[in-house]
Amino acid sequence: MPQSKTERSGWRGVSLIAITYVYFLIFAQFAFLKRLAALGLAEAHLKPVMAAMAAGGMMVSLLAPRWRGFSAPEVRIRAALLGCAAAVFLSLLPLTFAASIAVSLLIGCSLGLLTVTLVTHLRRWLGEGSLLLKVGLGTGLGYFMCNVPTFFEADARAQAVAAGALCLVGFCCALKAPGSPAVCEETSGQAGSTSFWLVLIGFTALVWLDSAAFFIIQNSPGLKAGTWQGTAHLWSNGCLHFAAALGSAWLLRRRGSTWVLPLAYGALAAACLLLLRAEGLVAASVFYPIGVSLYSVALVAYPSLLASGSIEQRGRLAGWIYAVAGWAGSALGIGMGQNLGAVPPLFVAAAGLLILVPGSLAFLRRRRLEIAVTIAILLLAFGVDKLLDGGRAVQASDSAVERGRTVYVHEGCIHCHSQYVRPGTRDELMWGPVQTVAEVRRGTPPLIGNRRQGPDLSQVGSRRSALWLKAHFENPAEVSPASFMPSYSSLFQDRRGDDLVAYLQSLRPTDAAQHRKDEVFWHLSAIGESDHGQPLFHAYCATCHEADGPTRLRWAASFMRLPPNLSVEALAHVNPADSTEEQVNQFAQIIKFGIAGTDMPGHEYLSDRDISSLSLWLAQQRVSHSRTTNIASGESK
Amino acid sequence: MSQLLAEIPASTVLQSAGSREAHRVVAYAAWHSLAWLVFANVVGVLLALMLIFPALNGWLGEWTYGRWMPVHMNLQLYGWCSLPLVAFLFKVYGADREPIAKWCRPALWVWSAALVVGSTSWLTGHASGKLFLDWTGYARVLFPLALLCLWALLATATMQGWRSEAFNGLAARITKVGGLALLLLIPPAIYMASNPALYPPINPDTGGPTGASQLESVLVIIVVLLLLPYGLTRSRTEQTRMRALAWGVFVAETLLCLALGRGDISHHRPTQYISLGSLLVWLPLTPAYYSTFAWHENTRRWRVAFLCWWCFLVPTGWCLFLPGVLDHFKFTDGLVAHSLLAMAGFVSSLLIFVMVQLLGEDGWIFNQTLSFYAWNTSVLAYVLVMLYAGWREGNDAAFSMVPGVARNAVYTIRLLLGVVILLASFDWLKDATRLLRSPQAVTQGLAGEGI
Repeated sequence: MPQSKTERSGWRGVSLIAITYVYFLIFAQFAFLKRLAALGLAEAHLKPVMAAMAAGGMMVSLLAPRWRGFSAPEVRIRAALLGCAAAVFLSLLPLTFAASIAVSLLIGCSLGLLTVTLVTHLRRWLGEGSLLLKVGLGTGLGYFMCNVPTFFEADARAQAVAAGALCLVGFCCALKAPGSPAVCEETSGQAGSTSFWLVLIGFTALVWLDSAAFFIIQNSPGLKAGTWQGTAHLWSNGCLHFAAALGSAWLLRRRGSTWVLPLAYGALAAACLLLLRAEGLVAASVFYPIGVSLYSVALVAYPSLLASGSIEQRGRLAGWIYAVAGWAGSALGIGMGQNLGAVPPLFVAAAGLLILVPGSLAFLRRRRLEIAVTIAILLLAFGVDKLLDGGRAVQASDSAVERGRTVYVHEGCIHCHSQYVRPGTRDELMWGPVQTVAEVRRGTPPLIGNRRQGPDLSQVGSRRSALWLKAHFENPAEVSPASFMPSYSSLFQDRRGDDLVAYLQSLRPTDAAQHRKDEVFWHLSAIGESDHGQPLFHAYCATCHEADGPTRLRWAASFMRLPPNLSVEALAHVNPADSTEEQVNQFAQIIKFGIAGTDMPGHEYLSDRDISSLSLWLAQQRVSHSRTTNIASGESK
Repeated sequence: MSQLLAEIPASTVLQSAGSREAHRVVAYAAWHSLAWLVFANVVGVLLALMLIFPALNGWLGEWTYGRWMPVHMNLQLYGWCSLPLVAFLFKVYGADREPIAKWCRPALWVWSAALVVGSTSWLTGHASGKLFLDWTGYARVLFPLALLCLWALLATATMQGWRSEAFNGLAARITKVGGLALLLLIPPAIYMASNPALYPPINPDTGGPTGASQLESVLVIIVVLLLLPYGLTRSRTEQTRMRALAWGVFVAETLLCLALGRGDISHHRPTQYISLGSLLVWLPLTPAYYSTFAWHENTRRWRVAFLCWWCFLVPTGWCLFLPGVLDHFKFTDGLVAHSLLAMAGFVSSLLIFVMVQLLGEDGWIFNQTLSFYAWNTSVLAYVLVMLYAGWREGNDAAFSMVPGVARNAVYTIRLLLGVVILLASFDWLKDATRLLRSPQAVTQGLAGEGI
């Protein structure tokens, strides 16, 4: 029977896949649970209700391929979709516990029948050409629709009604099965040499990981907020799902399931492990949708297009996959989430073993010489290293300064900071004084560096206090606006941070007095405008000098002296008896070089024009304040 | 010396590759090299991103910019830049012939495993603090062992092939055994040079290398440039005078370098910048020297490229060392530009040229027009943009320390150029993978060896 153009396009198949995913994800996993909660059945009754769904799903998945009655695929699909839709509308009624079990069973049975029948006979609805890409498209669209913010954030009733309506749309799509039965018998057998049972184990492990991660995120408000709450998150999740689904289809077409399952595992394992740490949440929210979509496409494509065998055989394979991997894997994952609250790293490793090792065996056999030699050399190096280590004098870094230097080396500070003041250059005034080459060579190794993306640190101990350094490591941009240095707050979880601060504090010139004299002789070479001073004050000074400055609030108890309000309070290093011009110069000196022995840092890299603007503005603020005070005191007299 | 080397029958190298496995050895080394290039370039793009979007650091936990930098730099040097020379050595010592050829792959695996271990150690916060010699702890032992493993392979190949045509003639035998003796020095040298207690001469006015050190480094590159053709192809015997001249100049400059000593001497000293200026003689000499050898037609594009980069590198390198100029550019992006000119411009095009010559007809993997021009124009643009940034930075250190619109624009352009460079390298890796998978390509390659 010749096919029409629309039939050849395969839009029916794409729609049926998308509808099935939307129904499962948005109704069976979300709206139905919310409905149960609304009915007061969420706590003690949840497990039996959900168990009924899983039992129905597993039972029908296994039985449907073996049952001979109503064998026409379109009839079964339509029946399954009607069952799904009926379950939706029944769930909107005021259900008792027993009734909710019956509805849950109906959902499971209908979904079992729908999924197994659809994938077994999918070729009928996929038209011609690019079949795997169509599977990817259907899956991607399904996940994308679920993540559309208005749909995802709608109330349970709206979600249920939409899912039910989509089932009816699916019913219309499946009215006619355009593909001839002969087409359905075709098998491609692109699954590769991996046996079905290994694939089944792989799928089960993936669904287990997915369901556990899903349950944990869904039931932890913090995790939920960081992964799928908010419009931006949802759109990003939707796009990631869609892109990963298409990528999965492309990979399946080129390499079969041998690449997709390990990649999906990699993404899901990363997500599960990242969920263990609060700082890994953002990355987890990227990996999770990628992993899920990667394997979800394979879950449809494997039994429908990749596995070899007759249609009956592929139907049975589909039954096993959906019963064991789909329903049982899902239940086990949710159980893990409920009982442990996290996916143990050991389990992630074990899942990896199950998924990666079978596929790797052939590679290991093919490359046994390379692997044997590499392992031998790795072991030999281990032995030699131990021997040399034993022979070396134990160099325990006892002092905090020595340990801090090691931290400096290991963190790669050398890649952004130099420790070398070039004689006769502007370096001397900014970062000076100069050290002799002999002094530089005393460090093992000298940490001269070759690139300055931040200040030279050879004498930083005389320019920055321990508190400033610590505050800067914790949150650089808070202390130093526009800083692109990363936060090193993790170093303060152990002693590395304090050691590093001790090391930097130890970097001081031998002749600091002479350098101070050079600083005193410095004068502004450009005149700024006081109007520009205010934004500079807010950018550079307010963090410490304003009452609500973030650095001041955070480190209030640690300052040697709480930074004064520069407009109002008396300043130790600015003499109010001096002329305004003198005060401007005093401010400029302080801004440029800081105040030695206090927490006030210098701003050596600021231009003279900026320093002048800021000094002028500060001096003006003080003058206008003193005038106001004088007027007020005059009035009071 | 040139005559001695000219006697080595260069064709023997090419004739040695007589089997399918043998030809695959070079392709396999090229693949490893390209895989490291792509990975190092991905890291480079990540680093460029971090400078524009520092929030990225928060995503990566303790794997911050400072830990990724040694990964990027060392993988470029020890992965991308070194493995093509390993392929060259396989050919020269006949390690690509049966029955020893099957051990070449394990040697490459060990090398790559050492790089994986090294990268892991840098990322987990273990470094020596010496740029390009960041090997420390276990990795510091493993990498020299990987080099020793390669050496053992070459030594075995030498013994097996002693009576073969490849070792025909006293000169060939002396050169190869002498080369083996020198190669044996490299693993302990790397181990010792990674010792933090050893540090090269310091230019007291910049903290960087002295003119003598730079001359020494460039002379090492020049000797490699002079030796490469003997292992890659046959010479045109009628042009021996030019080769003799090149070797003569090299010997003279080596003596000059020895006379300069290894003290901590400033670049303001005329002896330093004038002696470094002596390298300018290689601008005409190198192309003339290479024209005295017969090259596979597939190499033309990359031969021209590497000679052009050389002619750009040598004078700019010298100019950047001059008093006043170096004082302006030291510690700035200007020197980053020059490093990229050296590594991504000159060294990379030289290595690709070598690989194309070794691969013969299979050298097509590097000859796609789009990737060729994408790579070279992006590198050139990168160099110019970074030179501009360095010039600005030399005037005002805050240019890079306090990001403003100009700095961010320059760094965004750098990022985009980095992406193009990455895509070009990925294209080569993709084709190298195809080459390894395609049995036809191997036969084509074998057919193309009759130079």
